This record gives sequence, structure tokens and C-alpha cells, in this order.
Amino acid sequence: MPVTPFRWFITASGSYAMIRQPIPAWLFWSLAVSGIVVAIAIYAGMSVYQTRINPTQSVIPGLKGFAEGFDLITKPRGNDKNPKPSWLVTDSKVTFSRLFIGMGLGTIAAIVLGIAMGAYTGVEAFFSPIISFMAKIPPTGMLVIYMVAFGTNFKMFIALIGFGIFFTMVQSIYQSVKKDVASDHIDKAYTLGASEFEVVLEVIWKQILPRVIDNIRLHIGPALVFLIAAEMLFASEGFGYTIRQSQRFSNMNVVYIYLGILGTVGLLLDYGLMRFRRWLCPWFGE
Amino acid sequence: MAANPTALEIRDLSHWFGDFRVLNHINLRIAAGQIVALVGPSGCGKSTLLKAILGTQPPSEGSVLVDGQEILAPSRRVGIVFQHYSLFDFLTAEANVAFGPKLDETSVAFRTFQFPQWRKLRKQHMQEAREFLERVKLAEACGKYPTELSGGMRQRVAIAQALILKPKILLLDEPFGALDEATRERLQMMLLGFYQENLLATKEGRTPEYTIVIVTHELNEAIYVANRVIGLSRFHDDGDQGAMVVYDRPCPIFHPDDPKDLADFVEQREELRRAVFDPSYIKHHSKYVSFWQDLEAAEAAVGPIES
Repeated sequence: MPVTPFRWFITASGSYAMIRQPIPAWLFWSLAVSGIVVAIAIYAGMSVYQTRINPTQSVIPGLKGFAEGFDLITKPRGNDKNPKPSWLVTDSKVTFSRLFIGMGLGTIAAIVLGIAMGAYTGVEAFFSPIISFMAKIPPTGMLVIYMVAFGTNFKMFIALIGFGIFFTMVQSIYQSVKKDVASDHIDKAYTLGASEFEVVLEVIWKQILPRVIDNIRLHIGPALVFLIAAEMLFASEGFGYTIRQSQRFSNMNVVYIYLGILGTVGLLLDYGLMRFRRWLCPWFGE
Repeated sequence: MAANPTALEIRDLSHWFGDFRVLNHINLRIAAGQIVALVGPSGCGKSTLLKAILGTQPPSEGSVLVDGQEILAPSRRVGIVFQHYSLFDFLTAEANVAFGPKLDETSVAFRTFQFPQWRKLRKQHMQEAREFLERVKLAEACGKYPTELSGGMRQRVAIAQALILKPKILLLDEPFGALDEATRERLQMMLLGFYQENLLATKEGRTPEYTIVIVTHELNEAIYVANRVIGLSRFHDDGDQGAMVVYDRPCPIFHPDDPKDLADFVEQREELRRAVFDPSYIKHHSKYVSFWQDLEAAEAAVGPIES
């Protein structure tokens, strides 16, 4: 039988190629770094190739292009009499305040309603149909309604993110209350002297807390999608607005840097929340 | 233990699910300090009776009184240990045991607005919890989460968690069903130890601390750990109307240090099997429902019995 590359790889990798088999840490990290290196190499190759065809191209900028883009977004604007912060500072303030306030309000509301729906059948019966229906409507499709209701100001972005994550998060939290909190736990808490409020606060809330944190992690991505889309359409400042303007003027170096910053912030938030969950709920495991 | 006060009284309790009558005129009186095994075929209504005592499923008819007060909802007067432990995953073993005193003695407002006093009280609760864990021989597991404990250890934490509040009655719902044989025996010894403490309390004129109803499928276990076995079954002459108490007799008392000889149980186990589990034995079972008469007769013959 001829030795094909695939067969060679399977034989050489031995049990590491088997489903769910653990691999040594050195191999894990080597593969992780390799993935990044390969991605950068492919980009660099494409950039070099494109530059050979068109030396003035800015679609796939090289290192020099990125340096110029970085200068552009970090350079303070205005003049001595009327100094203005750089694009990056202004956009970061605007975009991340929208993101955090919108996510915060949406999460708090989802926690309250999710727990109430999971704990009380009457609340579940009342809200379940409408929540299930609303969760299926794409939040960006609701933009027009938020625009009519709140205008194109700060409130509209908060509403878009808040409502955008609210309906799906309510569903997750309410399912978590129903599945993760056993009736035996609730009965036992009563026999230990708990009041109804204490059952909610001391049993239900503490049991679902890691799920809530994981839910917030999962909703960072969608929240960013809603926000950037809305900023591209309606904002006069913010990451989405600047990305759109840069694309119009072919400043793809700025676009890539901004996308990189968004990805990095999302990743850091996700990692931070994961560490926070591990610290706060060590019993939950990995 | 005829002199001990009544801990649990069930008066004419019946329960229906739709048109299906599960329990039919259950009457029971359990004195403080008794360790009672409740046995019966699957689906005979043991869990329904247990839920009625716990207060999570009030009976369709009749009433349950614990310490003279009617049970209408779960309360700290009745403790429960479930088969699958039901420890709170987010609390360590000692925090699980201290959870009862925390909920029972303080409110959310106290814990929030009088934090210094709460911290002081919390230390006392944790100390008390450690003492209870030592009593069930789990001192080394204080700081571990339930997921880090074996099944037997979790069950001992669950027992300590229920006992710390000194409930008037403790319900054990098939507590050793999921455990291996060796662990099961260790926990049986623990129950026998509780019974010895009850005997000592009675001798000293105190009300015994442990009144326990244990639901089990294992007949040898029922006879070994309890001083009274109650059989619930539909296999009686009025079985269409639901399960009744068809067996209620005393059991021999064992000391934790006594060797366990299953031969000692054979006679009563066969009697129990015939009266409770044999569908062909459809007769009036009153001759097997004789715990209190047996006790009175024995006391008339030899004086007060500490059993």
C-alpha cells in the first residue's frame, strides 16, 4: 500500500491523532503558535504579491502601511487653541462606553427575568412565548424601531445592544435555572430555614452564577457585531464609523488596526471573565 | 421508648393522583428517639408519604404533625437527606453544614447591613459545622467541595448538614442506595451509633436527639439499622383503595461493635417479605401491625424498655 501524506501523518502522530486524546503541553503550545505564524505568513505573502503587482496598493498593507495607519489614529487632532484627542481615544471612549453600558443593562435585566421565569411557572407562562419570538428576530433588523424610539443618539446604541443580547440571554438563564437547580436543592434549602428570597439569592443565584458569566462571555461577540453595524450606519464617531470612513478613503491600514483592536479587546474581555469565573466559582471546574 | 414524646404523628392520611388513590388511611405515631425503616414495593407510595412528611406535597386528606404542629410546607422541623446527596455544589463541606445555621439564625438584611456581627457569627457557625463533620468522621474534608468528595463522604456531609439544625425528625430517602457495600456498612454503623446516643439520652432523662425515618429497599438494612420496621403496600385485602401500613413491628437492637450476622435477620426478613412484598398474600394484615402492642406487652412483662 503506498504511503500517502495523510497515512504518514496518522502513523507519525500515533495516539495524538485519536479523538479526544490529550497531547503534551509543548505540542499544544507549538501548534497554537504555529497557527498564528501561518496566518501572518499567508498575509505577508499576499501583501508582497499584491505590492509587486501594484506598488501603491493599500488593500493589503505591509508593515510600513500599518505604521502609517497607527500614526494616523494615535495623532492628536485639532490645534494648539482647540486640541482634540486622537481618533483612537475618541472612538474607544464612545464605542466601549456604549458596549459596556448596553451589555450591563441587558445582562441585569436578563438575570432578573431569567431567574423569575425559571423559578415561577406563572412568570414562565406569561413571558415564554414573547421571549421565544423576540429572540428569533435579528437585533440589527430592529435598528429602525430603536431609531424611531430613541433617535440616533447614545440611547439607541444602548437599546440595540441591551435588547440585542437580552432575549437570548433570558432564554439561557431561565433554562439554566430549570436544569441546573434541582428541586431537591430548593426543598432542602426550605428545610434549612431559608425564606423564598433566600432560596433565590443563596441557592438559585449561586448555582447559576458560572453559567451567567459564561453567557456574558458568549454575548460579547454578538454585542460587538450589533454595535459596529449600527455605528457604521448611524454614528458620527466610534469604531464602526471610523472603519466605514477609512474604507471609503481606502485606508485599509486603519481598518485592519481597528479590527485588530476590537478582536483583542473581545479576547481580553473573554479571558478576563473566564479567569473571574474560575476565581469566583472554583467548584465549577474548567 | 414509650416514655418519649411523640415526634411524628400521621392522622388518617390519604393521597390521590387524579383518580388513582396511592395512600389509604395511613395512621402512624413515631416517638422521639426511634429509628424507623420504611419499606415497600416500588410505586407503593413511600415517596409520596415522605413528601407529605417533608411538606412538599401536602396530602389530599388527613394531616401530618411534627412535634404537635401540622406540617403544611417544608420547614426546619423536618430534615431530609436524599439518595443523591443534594449538597450545594458551590459550598465547601463545612459551608454546606453551616448553611442551615446561616439561613436559620440570620436574615439577608442582617448579613448585609450588620456585616461585622455577621462575620463573628459566621465563625461560630463554621466552628459548629466542623464539630458536626468530626462527629460523622469527616474532619479532613472540611474545605473540600462536594465534587471533590466520594459518594459516602458526600452522604455523611448531607447527614451532618441535616443534623446541625436538630430537626424533630430526619428523613433519609434511600440514603445508601448509590453507595458501595463497604461505605454502606460504615454509614449503617453511624446510624447505630446515633441510636446508642438516643438510649443514653433516655437513660439520663433527656429527650433523644435523633428521630429518623429511613426509606430503604434493602430488607437486611432495614432490620439492622432500625428499631422499628414499617411496611407500606397495596398487597392487602383492601389494596384497590391504595397502600396501607401492612407491617409495623419492632426489630432487634444492634450495637455498632456487634458482629453483623445476617442469620439473625432471616426470620423477620421472611415475615416482612411475605407481609409486604408478596402479591399473593392478600389478607388482613393487622397481626403484623403491632409495634405499640408488642412494646406494651414487653413492658408489662419486664418493665420499661429502652428500645
